[in-house]
Amino acid sequence: MAEETRRISENDWIGARTGMDVEALKRALEEEQKKAEKNLLNWQKAEADFSNYRKRVEQEKAELISFANAKLLTELLTVIDDFERAFANVPPEMAQLPWVDGVRLVHQKLRSVLKSQGVTEIESAGKPFDPNIHEAVMQQPGEEGSVIEEVQKGYMMKDRLIRAAKVVVGSGKKVEASEAEV
Amino acid sequence: MGRAVGIDLGTTFSEVAVIQGGEPVVIPSSEGGNIVPSYVAVSKTGERLVGQIARRQAILNPENTVYSIKRFMGRKWGEPPGRELPVEEDAKRKTYKVTRAANNEVRVLMGGKEYSPPEVSAMILQKLKADAEAYLGEKVTDAVITVPAYFNDSQRQATKDAGTIAGLNVLRIINEPTAAALAYGLDKKKEETIAVYDLGGGTFDISILEIGEGTFQVKSTNGDTHLGGDDFDQKIMDYLCDEFKREQGIDLRQDRMALQRLKEAAEKAKIELSSVAQTEINLPFITADASGPKHLNITLTKAKMEQLVMDLVEKSIGPCRQALTDAGKTAAQIDEVILVGGQTRMPLVQEKVKQFFGKESNKSVDPDLVVAIGAAIQAGVLKGEVREVLLLDVAPLTLGIETLGGVATPLIPRNTTIPTSKSQIFSTAADNQPSVEIHVLQGERPMSADNRTLGRFILDGILPAPRGVPQVEVTFDIDANGILSVRAQDKGTGKEQKITITASSGLSKEEVAKMAREAEAHSADDAKKKDEVETRNIADNLVYTAERTLREQKDKIPSELNQEVEGKIAAVRSAIQGKDMDYIRSTTRDLSEAMQKIGAAVYQQTAPPPPPEGEAPPEGEAPDGQAPPGGEEGTVEGEFREV
Repeated sequence: MAEETRRISENDWIGARTGMDVEALKRALEEEQKKAEKNLLNWQKAEADFSNYRKRVEQEKAELISFANAKLLTELLTVIDDFERAFANVPPEMAQLPWVDGVRLVHQKLRSVLKSQGVTEIESAGKPFDPNIHEAVMQQPGEEGSVIEEVQKGYMMKDRLIRAAKVVVGSGKKVEASEAEV
Repeated sequence: MGRAVGIDLGTTFSEVAVIQGGEPVVIPSSEGGNIVPSYVAVSKTGERLVGQIARRQAILNPENTVYSIKRFMGRKWGEPPGRELPVEEDAKRKTYKVTRAANNEVRVLMGGKEYSPPEVSAMILQKLKADAEAYLGEKVTDAVITVPAYFNDSQRQATKDAGTIAGLNVLRIINEPTAAALAYGLDKKKEETIAVYDLGGGTFDISILEIGEGTFQVKSTNGDTHLGGDDFDQKIMDYLCDEFKREQGIDLRQDRMALQRLKEAAEKAKIELSSVAQTEINLPFITADASGPKHLNITLTKAKMEQLVMDLVEKSIGPCRQALTDAGKTAAQIDEVILVGGQTRMPLVQEKVKQFFGKESNKSVDPDLVVAIGAAIQAGVLKGEVREVLLLDVAPLTLGIETLGGVATPLIPRNTTIPTSKSQIFSTAADNQPSVEIHVLQGERPMSADNRTLGRFILDGILPAPRGVPQVEVTFDIDANGILSVRAQDKGTGKEQKITITASSGLSKEEVAKMAREAEAHSADDAKKKDEVETRNIADNLVYTAERTLREQKDKIPSELNQEVEGKIAAVRSAIQGKDMDYIRSTTRDLSEAMQKIGAAVYQQTAPPPPPEGEAPPEGEAPDGQAPPGGEEGTVEGEFREV
């Protein structure tokens, strides 16, 4: 008790001798310390944010480089589709022409360019329907759950799906079952 | 402690976004892409599928694939219809069974079991949550989910329940137009009236909001539940089919395969025509008849497409008018317009909206993602994840100094975030130049006379030296308060001078914008002027270098060559006096070629006999200490040259 009294009056004593309000100074110091802590904390958070941002950007850059061409290649796939349609429709009297062979080679070249970029075709015909890589556009009589016809080829790039194959799936019905309309 | 995300739970598509490093980021789904189709299915093998995967098998499994579940959230059989169709009507249009439970509640049948709409929505939310956790590498525990402004209490509660079922703590349910306004930071405004024009794939919604004291109030909503981007695609498809029938006599509408390709091509063409004047729709082997394969190759102009869809766009204006009336406002009283939904990317839509409201809309945020982004911002705020952000300003206009020829050389480009600092080394323009004048400029124009002078000062005491040799480092430093100090230091003598400029802007936003526009308008002229100055500078440099070379290498140069070069120098000198840029360039070129002969002559004197023919003589190099002929850009007016 006596100790306390002495402590309190010590400040008063200092105050009286020096004209400084020690209590007020202590409060002000506490406030400044709090501010400094807050500033430090926010600075740390900002540094952390920046560091994380940098890491994320690096990651995204790497991904971009890896898959930069995916969009372009996906667009080219429509051209390959058309090539394949063209070959499916070669008039029989022309099928043996060397010129047709030449165009076939062009198509082959296009396919190998794609392959060199990591693009691979998805095997669909006859396989069980898998919504991870196939998109069903129609149902027709045939083995249930099996891909009867490929309407548009599907492609993977490295290990990523860049275009699902559009397929006709068997409905399990036989003969003249009608197409299931949705 | 888990993260908080913002979710736009849409009728046909859903997205999830999160605040990363203070910025909203839309999270990619596990299939790639930012948007997830709002589809849920139970496969024949009892497996649950959500999103793109569910959509892909929808045709095979129509009774067990649930889509557009949002239409049934919080609704009951026999309820009077609101904006939506009555449940009875909606149920008829679905391929899955919609059933009635106790209390007229709605249930849907999937895989032999009955689910409430919130349970189905929860499956979509669960997928979004899982994708977010995979992306962030941490748990997601909280979410803000958006709903249409016209949703009633029961619909909002159902959405909240869906979140809870999905294992999320729903921090808040907010209105989609409000979320869009948040994405544009409009919550910082005082008292404003905002119109949100949302034209998505299938529906159109217009909302009028009022912002005051940081809170948003919905004054009115209106819309058309059957107006959207899909209708625009359909118009184009119809046109293509009609044209094809006209040209080739075949109706493609009978051919399902052809229609598939046409649909994709129509959408693609629509998107392209937002930026080009015409596009070709090229579908070889679209169909075939007895005479062989047929091809579709039709050119569609932007103008024609706009004709085709004009009535659809105009259909959206009626609800806008009604919404204004219901809100008790005129178009002029709308302070901000926001565009939401992919279809608003079409220039025609943007034009019509601008015409109707009489002002430019906010469209800088991706309209497909703006609602999710706004929800993420709200989530960040509610969760307290947003650290205290020091709002930083930017330097609104480019800052630089004047260099040789009256050119404005930038040091700090406009929109650089401050505080910032930039240094560059400059040099003298004349031999024995004793001082340099730093003329500090602000503005976008390439010529200093067209920019604003912020200040000038002189640094003297530069030791006598050939031009281009002294190194004067000029440093621009802007502190967080926008106070600019410019310092010039002679790296040789160590002497430095400095100036502090307080009002480095003092220009209003409009004035800044005006200056930027003027720079644009004059950019062609300015570029020409700058080019002229540079041509002159290059010529001047070359003359200086040539004269110096002649002086220094006098004894090694045969007299005819000496005379030739002197003649060329004189030619360049007189060209510089005139205004013919081409003449300056050609005489400069001649002098440059002549100087190469000097180099050849000098090296021949010191080199071994020339190698057997077939080898070209060495490239004329300027004597060391000089810049190579051809000059470097931007030598400095009066006193300065960039090194």
